[in-house]
Amino acid sequence: MIGPYKMRLARAYIPFQRYGQVWSPAEGLRRGTIFPELFSPYIPRDKGSCGTCQ
Amino acid sequence: MQNEQMELMQRLRELEFAAVELNLFLDTHPENQEALRDFNRVACELAEVRQTYENKFGPTMNFGVSTSKGRWQWIDGPWPWQVGY
Repeated sequence: MIGPYKMRLARAYIPFQRYGQVWSPAEGLRRGTIFPELFSPYIPRDKGSCGTCQ
Repeated sequence: MQNEQMELMQRLRELEFAAVELNLFLDTHPENQEALRDFNRVACELAEVRQTYENKFGPTMNFGVSTSKGRWQWIDGPWPWQVGY
């Protein structure tokens, strides 16, 4: 474990994406992806709290 | 700028975005028939919308898509990236 937030040095994995529901072209362009499972907009948070520890 | 031009260009942008998304998925899932079906649908509609746009408002690309009638139409503005901005 490394550093004050007790995080592993590196552990990457990518589960294989399945083809499920997809948004329409119009919706997809608005959201930045046609795949709901990949939609994750950046939401700025207070710097104090550590997002990964929750 | 005509409203119809803006609407057609918006549709073109939406379809091109969806085509890229499906392209990226199919790169790693080339056997997926549902994704392939959706890609082919988008590709068809994209070609139709592009044709409709170009018939009325001129080329959407400088080469590789359509011929230029009467004069070199590419320089007759607005260029695609200027539409709506």
